[in-house]
Amino acid sequence: MTNLFKTMEINVGPQHPSTHGVLRLILELDGEIIKSCKPVVGYLHRGIEKMAENRSYLQYLPIVDRIDYLGGFFNSYAYCDCIEHLAEIDVPDKAKYIRVLCMELNRIASHLLWLGTFMLDLGASSPLFYCFRDRERILHIFEALTGQRMMYNYFTFGGVRFDIPSDIIDKISVFIEDMPECINDYENIITDNPIFVSRCKSKGILTKKNALQYSITGPNLRASGVNLDFRKSNPYLVYDRLNFDVSSDISGDAFSRYKVRIFELHSSLKIVEQCISFIKNSSDEFLNKSVKPVMLNIDNAEYTSSVESPRGLMSCTVMAGGKNPYRVKWRTGSYYAVQVLPELLINAELADLMAIFGSLDVILPEVDK
Amino acid sequence: MNYLLSIFIDFFANFGIPKEVVYIIFPIIPFCIVAAALILVVLVLVLVERKILALFTQRKGPNRVGFCGILQTVADAVKLLCKENIEPNVTDRILFSLAPIIAFVPVMVCWGIIPFSSEFDFISISVSSLLFAVIAVIPVIGVILAGYSSNNKYSLIGSVRSAVQVISYELPIMFVILSVSILASSLNIKDIILSQTSMYQVCGWYIFPCFLGFVILFVSSLAELNRCPFDLPEAESELVAGYNTEYSGMRFALFFLGEYAMLFVSSAFITALFFGGFLSPFGFYISEKIFNNNVLAQIGIYFEQAFWFFIKSFLIVFLIMWVRAVLPRLKSSDLLKFSWRILLPLSILNFIYICLFKYIVMIGGLK
Amino acid sequence: MINTDLLKEYFPDVLVYDYYIFVEKNIVDVISFLKTKNYVDFDVLSQIIAADCTDFVQLTYRLYSTENNEFLNVVTKVKDEAASVTHLYKSAHFDECEIHDLFGINFVGNEKLERLYMPEDWDGHPLLKSYDQTDERLEWNNDQSL
Repeated sequence: MTNLFKTMEINVGPQHPSTHGVLRLILELDGEIIKSCKPVVGYLHRGIEKMAENRSYLQYLPIVDRIDYLGGFFNSYAYCDCIEHLAEIDVPDKAKYIRVLCMELNRIASHLLWLGTFMLDLGASSPLFYCFRDRERILHIFEALTGQRMMYNYFTFGGVRFDIPSDIIDKISVFIEDMPECINDYENIITDNPIFVSRCKSKGILTKKNALQYSITGPNLRASGVNLDFRKSNPYLVYDRLNFDVSSDISGDAFSRYKVRIFELHSSLKIVEQCISFIKNSSDEFLNKSVKPVMLNIDNAEYTSSVESPRGLMSCTVMAGGKNPYRVKWRTGSYYAVQVLPELLINAELADLMAIFGSLDVILPEVDK
Repeated sequence: MNYLLSIFIDFFANFGIPKEVVYIIFPIIPFCIVAAALILVVLVLVLVERKILALFTQRKGPNRVGFCGILQTVADAVKLLCKENIEPNVTDRILFSLAPIIAFVPVMVCWGIIPFSSEFDFISISVSSLLFAVIAVIPVIGVILAGYSSNNKYSLIGSVRSAVQVISYELPIMFVILSVSILASSLNIKDIILSQTSMYQVCGWYIFPCFLGFVILFVSSLAELNRCPFDLPEAESELVAGYNTEYSGMRFALFFLGEYAMLFVSSAFITALFFGGFLSPFGFYISEKIFNNNVLAQIGIYFEQAFWFFIKSFLIVFLIMWVRAVLPRLKSSDLLKFSWRILLPLSILNFIYICLFKYIVMIGGLK
Repeated sequence: MINTDLLKEYFPDVLVYDYYIFVEKNIVDVISFLKTKNYVDFDVLSQIIAADCTDFVQLTYRLYSTENNEFLNVVTKVKDEAASVTHLYKSAHFDECEIHDLFGINFVGNEKLERLYMPEDWDGHPLLKSYDQTDERLEWNNDQSL
């Protein structure tokens, strides 16, 4: 008789098609109902924080792109911001706008990849290809601009490595003209789909209290009814000069997380448009020539930058110690989103796991660092 | 069939082989034809599916092997057959090897039940449509055995899902088959097809009186075939590969073959019930006109009937693939709710409506 | 900005400097005070930053207030053992596990404390300055015979 009521322990990951990398979830199943969940991380631990201690400030710069490989610009900006504050380096306006432009395009690329894989997790294969098609256009732009598709290493202390050529500006303008129609297409195929809605509506509800308790940030928090966007609340770069909207939703389920992200695609396009019009009209010298990053020598000081990455608050803390960082600490959004997973999964069905986990947009390299 | 049999007996009589022996070996020949045709159809089907999905997602699809990639599936098949047959240590050996066979063989039988032209049905019994419905469920036993014997939790969940799915979708299917056979006053598939002949060409097809039945059968077939949006037993994002997680090589190929063959056979069944099967959509056969009713015309008609059957079935297959390209996957609990709360009541309503329809038609003597 | 006077009243030996609060002991009480009883509710624990200062480990609790949109750093020194704040902020669990893993700090009060990244049987705590970086397990194995 006892055997009848025994629960089954099942190991999802670390090699599983939909754990987006190498997350391992130990699930306890009662039939198809999840009774408990324990995330196990660390399969992608590369010791990125330890690496900083043996390198100079500049040598560490290419490594930070690898923390969240879908949002490389956010990582390098968070790190550059720290060093610029510590070494008191000014960044010219044009470089700031270029940074914002790159970061917002990167946000669109990241959200597109999320949308595609999320739909793939739910069993719809076509949206993945549409999303990748558009993401590919952004990656082509990045490749032309920086020489790399994912690990850009484009930002540097005091600005960006090279000026943005005018033909790339034209490419971006064409892209942002086409994009709203594509997003509408996605919405037509996804948002009104009754199966999608039934799988996402009121699934994995993250209450406002829980979201704050678990330190969730970014779109996941905004979907839970807290209108917190670090671009608005603690503006960095030129975000206080830009006009954009932040969307929030109150229900906190997978569907509202989806809606918030779709809205962010639109608002990012808007920001890109404004950046382009500024860059076109500006003739600023884009990089402060007096900076020699190789020679940086910063006395004991500490600074923490806060960046709104596609997956929430990304902060980089640099404790300077002379010629190389004494300690670098990264705070990433996914790290805390993984932690809240057990809370959301209790008494959900196994099929809900994908809707809930997918909607949190977790990137594992960011968790393991 | 008797016509073919007499030709067959005559042919062997020339070599002095007695009639009794010919009776015994006669079924072997059509079986070989069926098997060869089935594998050919599956090869085409896999390629067609990949091309269609590519079309929907604005890709090229397979385009390297052969002209425009037409040999891609052949290459895949060769690869699968050459692969090592990995068998985990802790499996139930007998069931593990038996499961793919149980999943595949019934499909062949189903394939034999379908009449592809008016003289070309190998298993012709009076209740062939019921027989089809019954045999079409047997592959699920193979799926359950596969899940059970692989000693893998993902496989187990997949196979249990499959069992639940088939049980709940079998009832609507039965009701639809019954309502169609009431319209045709027969349970034999060939009779059902022939009774769709009408002087108003396509208007005789049962899709018109029984559209609701078609929708129900289509949806239920998707569920029975484990096709999207009901592909829960092998939901790759949840269960890795579902019941065939532990299978590889030839055994996996059998599952794969069985699945795609069943896809085509089910489409053929839907065609037979609702789209006039091998009947020409024009009300006459083209070869009839070309050969002016001589002996060639008779053979031409058989081939043309088969041609129409394949064309119609492929259209249904296309519909199924279209659904796959667009829809996400249902949840298992939603799937059950959908079956018991919507499909079953609808199919009963459809049955009652068809009974009334038939009664009125009979009274009015419209047909 | 926080109400310094009120904080001083409750905790006389606390040093306040800009957005930094230096606390010698009773770190949990200070954080719980900041979370609930101040003018500003610091309702989010953004992260816990640990740094090895050779003879002690410095923990920085980075609090955030969603009302006033400001950060506050509560800094303390610990040696081997620290008090857990998981009952105040659930997000602290991973942070504490990470610090336990990489710095070897034992958080009293966190029952589920375990190594986060490294294997259970791993020797040493990698982010300590005294960590031996010549460990053969860290070297890439170029042995072709394997």
